[in-house]
Amino acid sequence: MADSVTRDKWDRAAPSFDLMASRGAEIRWRPAKEALFSRMGDGQILFAALGTGLDIPTFPPGKQITAIDISPKMLEHAAPRVAAYAGSIDVRLMDVHEMDFADASFDQAFTACTFCSVPDPVNGLRSIYRVLKPGGELCMFEHTGSRYYPFRPMLDLMTKLTEKLGPAMNRPTVDNVQAAGFELLEVNHVYLDIVKTIVARKPG
Amino acid sequence: MDQRLYFVLGDLALNLGAGALVGWLAWLLIPAGWNMWLAMFVAMIAGMLLASVLFVPASIYLGAMEVMIPLMLTGMLAGMVAGMRGAMGLVDAGGAAFEGAVSGLACIVAVWILNNSLRGSQAIDSGGSCDG
Repeated sequence: MADSVTRDKWDRAAPSFDLMASRGAEIRWRPAKEALFSRMGDGQILFAALGTGLDIPTFPPGKQITAIDISPKMLEHAAPRVAAYAGSIDVRLMDVHEMDFADASFDQAFTACTFCSVPDPVNGLRSIYRVLKPGGELCMFEHTGSRYYPFRPMLDLMTKLTEKLGPAMNRPTVDNVQAAGFELLEVNHVYLDIVKTIVARKPG
Repeated sequence: MDQRLYFVLGDLALNLGAGALVGWLAWLLIPAGWNMWLAMFVAMIAGMLLASVLFVPASIYLGAMEVMIPLMLTGMLAGMVAGMRGAMGLVDAGGAAFEGAVSGLACIVAVWILNNSLRGSQAIDSGGSCDG
C-alpha cells in the first residue's frame, strides 16, 4: 500500500521545491553530481526519486533511464525536464519500498538526496538491492548525519524541524547501505562529512 | 572550501552579516545585569533560531548544507558572545554587532578549515560507522 503520508508531504512541497532547492544547491553540487552520474553506463538504469527533475541536466546524454517518484505533483513539475533530456527517461509513479519491477532488472541504480526522505531507508535500499542485477552498482549523492561535534547535535536538532516538511538531516546512509547488503566501494566527502557520494555494489 | 568566488564571497558576507545581526539583537534582548550564564544560554538559543530563519532566503542563492551548518554555528556563537558581554555591560550596540560579525568570521573560517580536512575520498572500513 502506497505511503500516503510521504506522498502528500512531497505533493505539498512540489510547487516551491525548485525555488528552495535549485539555484544555490544545484550550482554548488553540480560538479559532484556530474562526476557521479558520469558513471551511468549503457545498461538499464534506475533513478530513485526523480523529484522535479533538477538532476536531469547533469545526466550524460543517450542513457536508458527508468525514474521513479512517490509524488505525482513532483513528476508533473519534472515533465518538461524529462522531455528535454537527450536520451530516454521512462517515468513511473512508485514508492521505492514497493517497486513493482522484477528482481534483477537493472544494471545500475542512482539516487540524489533521496535517502534523507525515504521513511524506512534500510528497507528502501533492500528494495533497490532486489531490483539490481548481481554485480550491479548503486551510486548515491546524499547528505547524512555527521560524526563530529557540534554538527551531530545540530543536525539532530534540525531534523526535528525539517522532517515534518521534507528531509531528515541526520541519516546514517553509509551504514544503511551496508545494512541493506551492499558492498561499499567508494565514499567521497563533498562537504565536511555531511554531503557525500557513495558507490556500492550488489555482490554477484 | 568552495573555490568559486561567488560562493566564497557569499558565504563570507552571509556569516559576517548574520553574526552582526545576531550580536545586535542579542544585545537588545539581554538587559545588562542578567546572570551571564543565563544570558549566554538564552542568546545562544535565540541566535540559532534567527539563523534558522535567515537560512531560508540565503539557501536559495548559496546552497543547502553549506549555508545551514556555518550559519547555525554563527548564530550560536554570536548569540553567546554578545549575550554574555551585553549582560556584563561590557559592550554597546555597535560593539555587540562588531563582536557578532567577528564570531561569524571565525565560524566560517573554522568550517572552511574543517571542510578542507574532511572532504575527499575516504578509506572504506567494513566495521565502524562512517556517518551519523
